Amino acid sequence: MILKLAWRNIWRNSRRSIIALSSISVGVFAILLSDGLNTGMIEQILSNQISSSVSHIQIHNKGYNDNKVIQSIIPEPAKVEQTIKKNPEVKSFSKRVIAFGLLSSASSSTGMFIYGVDHKDEPQVSSIKDAVIEGEYLMGNDKEIVVGKKLSEKLGVGIGDKVVAMSNTPDGAIGSDVYRIVGIYATASSEFDKVNVFINIKAAQKLLEIGNDFHEFALILNDIKKLEVAKDEINRILSEGKYEVLTYRDLLPSLILQIDLYKESMWIINLIVGLALIFGIINTMLMSVFERINELGVLMSIGMKNRKIFSMIVSEALILGVIGTLVGLLIGAAVLIPLSNTGIDFSWFAAGLESWGVGSIVYPSFMIENLITTIILIPFITVIGAMYPALKAIRLEPVSAIRYV
Amino acid sequence: MEIIKTDSLEKIYSDNGVPVHALRGIDLSIQKGEYIVFAGPSGSGKTTLLNLIGALDKPTKGKVFYEGKDISQKSKKALSDFRLNNLGFIFQAYNLIPVLSALENIEFSMMLKGVEQKIRNERAFSLMKDLEIEELAHKKPNEMSGGQQQRVAVARAIINDPTVVLADEPTANLDSKTGGLLLDLMEKMNEDKKITFIFSSHDKQVIERGKRLLMLKDGLIEK
Repeated sequence: MILKLAWRNIWRNSRRSIIALSSISVGVFAILLSDGLNTGMIEQILSNQISSSVSHIQIHNKGYNDNKVIQSIIPEPAKVEQTIKKNPEVKSFSKRVIAFGLLSSASSSTGMFIYGVDHKDEPQVSSIKDAVIEGEYLMGNDKEIVVGKKLSEKLGVGIGDKVVAMSNTPDGAIGSDVYRIVGIYATASSEFDKVNVFINIKAAQKLLEIGNDFHEFALILNDIKKLEVAKDEINRILSEGKYEVLTYRDLLPSLILQIDLYKESMWIINLIVGLALIFGIINTMLMSVFERINELGVLMSIGMKNRKIFSMIVSEALILGVIGTLVGLLIGAAVLIPLSNTGIDFSWFAAGLESWGVGSIVYPSFMIENLITTIILIPFITVIGAMYPALKAIRLEPVSAIRYV
Repeated sequence: MEIIKTDSLEKIYSDNGVPVHALRGIDLSIQKGEYIVFAGPSGSGKTTLLNLIGALDKPTKGKVFYEGKDISQKSKKALSDFRLNNLGFIFQAYNLIPVLSALENIEFSMMLKGVEQKIRNERAFSLMKDLEIEELAHKKPNEMSGGQQQRVAVARAIINDPTVVLADEPTANLDSKTGGLLLDLMEKMNEDKKITFIFSSHDKQVIERGKRLLMLKDGLIEK
C-alpha cells in the first residue's frame, strides 16, 4: 500500500514528475554518452596499439625492453619458436628485427624505427597490411619498404621512390641500403605512422649484419582473456632467465594506468551528475511535501508512524530515480548501440584524435562495471535527495499540519 | 466506565510571541459509550480540547488519562500507536487521501495496523454496505459529494473498532439535510457498537442532538 500510495502521489502532479524524470534521464544519458565515448576511445587506442605493433605478448632477450640495442638478440630462437608453437593459446606469431636508424630521401632525412618482418607471418599479428592506403604491402623482395603516410609526406616521397636507410651494426659500424617504396600505410595513430617503416626480415638482417638473428617474437592469442595464462606457461617453459615475456599490459603501462584511472574517474563523473540531480530532487520532493502538509497531518492523526511516512516519501523519490535511470538507459541504448556499430565521425578534429592514436571515427563502448555503478548510484542519489524533505515531513506536528493553510 | 479523564488541562499557544490561553484548566470525565458535544464560540477552546484528548497535541499543564493511564507525556511514536489502536478521527474538511479510492481510504487504517489484504477488503466492503456507501467503493474523493466523502470518512474512523471517535466540526461543510443524515449514522454507530463519540461543533443540529453538552468559553467549561 505504501508503494501504491507513493506511485500515485508521484502522478498527482504529473508535469512536475515528468520534469524530474526527464532531468534524471538526461543525466543518465549524459553519463552513458560520456562513458561510451571515453571507453570507446580508450579501447580503440589500446586495440590500435596492439594491432599496429605491440601484439598480445612479446618475447625478447632478457632486458631488451629497457635497453633496445641491436646486440640484444633472442638466444636459441628455435627453442622459443617450438615453445610458442606448442602453446594452444597462441593463434599466430611473427619474428621481428627492430632497429633505430635514419631514413633519407633526396630532399630530407628523419629518424625512424625499422621493423624487419616476415611478409607472410606479420599480417597475422599486425594490421599494417590492412592499413596500406597506397601501393601494396611487402611481398618478400629485398629492396621493398613500406612507410607511414606522415613519414612519406615529411620526406616528400611516394610509391616507387627510393629512400636510404642507415643504422648501426652490432660492431658499431654503419649499415646502409637503398629501398624502393612499395606501400604507404596510415593507421589510426599519425604519431606511429611518422616513425615506423617496414622491410623484409632478411633485408633487415642484412642491413644490420646480424645473420639470421632477430629481436622479437610477437604473439597473438586466440582469447585475450587467457593473456596471463599464456604468459605464465611460456615463462614456465623458458625458465632459464634468458628471456623476457611481456604482455601488452607490461608494454603499455601508461595506457593501462590511464584505463584504470578512467575506471576510477567514472565515480567522479557519476557523482558530479548526481550532485546536479540531487538539488532537483530535493526541490521536487520539498514542493511535494509542502503541497500536502494537511494530508500528512491526517495520516499522522490516523496513526501512520513516522517510519512509514518517511518510507513513503523516500519511495516516491526512489521510483522517480529508478524510472528516470531506466528511461535514460533505454535512450542511451537506442542512441549508442547503433553508434557502437557505425561509429561517430569526429573528422572535424581528426588530427587531434589521430595524434592520440584513436582514429577519426569513435565507436562508443561500455564497461559493465561503469553501467552497474550508474544503475545503482543514480537511484541511490535520488533517495539521498529525498532525505531532507522526508525529515521535514516527519518533523511536522499533526495538529499544526492539519490546520496548515 | 470512565474512559477519558482530564486533570487541570491547560494549553497556552504562542501567537507571534504573545501567549494565548486556549484552555485554562479543564477537569472532565467521559464515560464509555457517551455521545458528547463540545460547543462554544470560535476561540473558546473546543478544538484544542478535542486535539488534546485525541493525543494530537500535548498540554502545557495538566494531564489526559485514557482508561486510567496518563497519555500526556508519551512519546510521539507511542502516541501514534495509541491513536491507531484506540481512536478514530473525523475532520471538518473530510480529509480523505485524494489518490486513494473510497475503499482504499477505508482500508488504509487497517493496513497501518497490519491487517491482511483479504481481511481488509472484506471488512471494508462489509462496513460500506452497512453504511450504504458500497457504490462509492472505487470512486476517488474528487468524484464524490461532500456528504459522500464524510460518510467514507466516518467509515475510515470506525473501521478499526476504535473506543472513541473524535469529530471536529463534522457537519460544517454539509447542508443541514446531509448533516442530519450523517448524524443519524453516527448515532447508530454509538448505539449499536457503543463507540464513544466526542464532537467539537457550533452547528445547532449537532448541539441539539448531543446526549451530553459541554459549553466552553474562554478556555473553561461553562456548564
